[in-house]
Amino acid sequence: MLLEVNNLNAGYGFLQILRDVSLNVDQGEYVCLVGPNGAGKSTTLKTIAGLLAPMSGEILFKGEPIGGLPGNKVARMGISFVSEEMNLFVNMTVNENLAMGAYTINDKQKQKARLDFVYDLFPRLVERRNQLAGTMSGGERKMLAIGRGLMSDPTLLLVDEPSFGLAPLLTENVFNSLDVLVKQGMTIMLVEQNVTKTLAVTDRGYVLENGRIELEGRSDDLATNAHVRKVFLGV
Amino acid sequence: MVEQAEKHFWERALKWCRSLAGATVIATIVIALIVTVDRGGYVLVNTIVTGGMTALVAMGLALTLGVLNIPMFAHGEYFMIGSLTAYYVFTPIKGIIDANPESILALFGPLITIVAAMIVGAVAGVVSEVLVFRQLRQRSRENWVMNSFLLTVGLSVLMINAHQLFFGADFKGITGYFSGMPINIMDVYISRDRAIAFVLAAVVVTAFWLFMTYTRTGRAIRAVSQDETGALIVGIGLNGIMMLTMALSCSLAAIAGASLLFMYPAYPSVGLEPLYMAWFVVILSGLGNVLGAVMGAFMVALLKVMTVEYIGSGWDFVVPSALIIVILIFRPSGIFGSEVRGVLDK
Repeated sequence: MLLEVNNLNAGYGFLQILRDVSLNVDQGEYVCLVGPNGAGKSTTLKTIAGLLAPMSGEILFKGEPIGGLPGNKVARMGISFVSEEMNLFVNMTVNENLAMGAYTINDKQKQKARLDFVYDLFPRLVERRNQLAGTMSGGERKMLAIGRGLMSDPTLLLVDEPSFGLAPLLTENVFNSLDVLVKQGMTIMLVEQNVTKTLAVTDRGYVLENGRIELEGRSDDLATNAHVRKVFLGV
Repeated sequence: MVEQAEKHFWERALKWCRSLAGATVIATIVIALIVTVDRGGYVLVNTIVTGGMTALVAMGLALTLGVLNIPMFAHGEYFMIGSLTAYYVFTPIKGIIDANPESILALFGPLITIVAAMIVGAVAGVVSEVLVFRQLRQRSRENWVMNSFLLTVGLSVLMINAHQLFFGADFKGITGYFSGMPINIMDVYISRDRAIAFVLAAVVVTAFWLFMTYTRTGRAIRAVSQDETGALIVGIGLNGIMMLTMALSCSLAAIAGASLLFMYPAYPSVGLEPLYMAWFVVILSGLGNVLGAVMGAFMVALLKVMTVEYIGSGWDFVVPSALIIVILIFRPSGIFGSEVRGVLDK
């Protein structure tokens, strides 16, 4: 198992959000985490990424415990987190943002190779490379956030709400680039509001409700599951 | 293609000139020239020397504010530490120079002094970060701006009184770093110390700017100031960057304190004036805006020099303060701060 989460409890201050969440992601898998607003999807990703300390439970990455490590240490181990707010460096250019993404890579050659890879994946960013990140459109920023996450050559990519605030066409673009990444062997864990679309593209999924994993299984099974259809699709 | 790029550059330059920031910078230069013609070259010299040194203090202040989110009111005390260190390092050196004036120390003594002050300033910065601010950060980040502000005020009181307790309240000053005739540039006599102070300020500001723009670590500092979570995500260790930022900004203040020792002798509250000046600059140029702080420093310096020249030396704090009030009413984000979010929003 690449990532293993066992009985994770987490939250903010005295407010507990996650209750005994257990999940796992294997190398090369495209896994999604779906659930209604406030279920704790983002909290799960933040806790794995080290932005939030778990209250109890275990997070293993490549067999090593990473629960409670600060975000920068987790990032150095090969987990890239693309947050919902994107957390771009708004007063830096696209190029500088991408360079920061490769902060953990010291080899100049490899940095260049990663940059070429990202520009290849998002040709749009090449056109914008000297523009300040804060002045770009929502779709471009999303691409930049994913691109920055890929610069460190991660083993696992955590993506939080890539379609949030995007027009349908741009959402399609973002999903397509994630598909390309998966075909190249990247492991991705995706959190999304757009349940129909997500279950159609991913391999496997977890359904999170009120901080608990309610269902898990292959995405196409989940898509036809009566409970999922009732809760998310209203049919 | 080149023509187009050139045209593009001029368009941007023109646009910048029309913006508030550009207009203010141009107005400052014009006013400085008019005053120089009116009253003589020494006004310009005073502005440039005061401005350069204020820039050092204000840059540190802007950096602390931008990266650590601390509204620093103890920054003047690092200036004081700089001047105190310089006094105790330079006095014995001065003895040697007086004994044999041909010694190589006459040239390098002041430099050694300033480097010593810089190192002590950096150490003081690291110590206050590790012992004071990191402790608060680990316990609670709630209401951070207010709490850290109160902490800096306490730190300031502590450092001023520690100085008084251990080193006494008297003035500890020197007559000058370099002896010899003042330099004559176009009928204006500039003392060697002032000339060196300005050159030093220019070198340090340039080096600092290059560091922040082109080095990996400098970029990481900027990254933390723009988005802390983003910095964590890409693998930047916050503790290290914050320590480094404190070391940098405090050593900048200490350099200013050391190189101005001939004007401001070391005494417990010597840091208050540079602190206020630096705050004027930071409010004028926008919170956390490091490059703006350099330009703002020269504006405030010019304003101060003009006030002394035309109204009287007792007014040199009143006029800048009045200006700050006007700016806070009409443009609270500062002249250069259109894209900088207020610290409290973070």
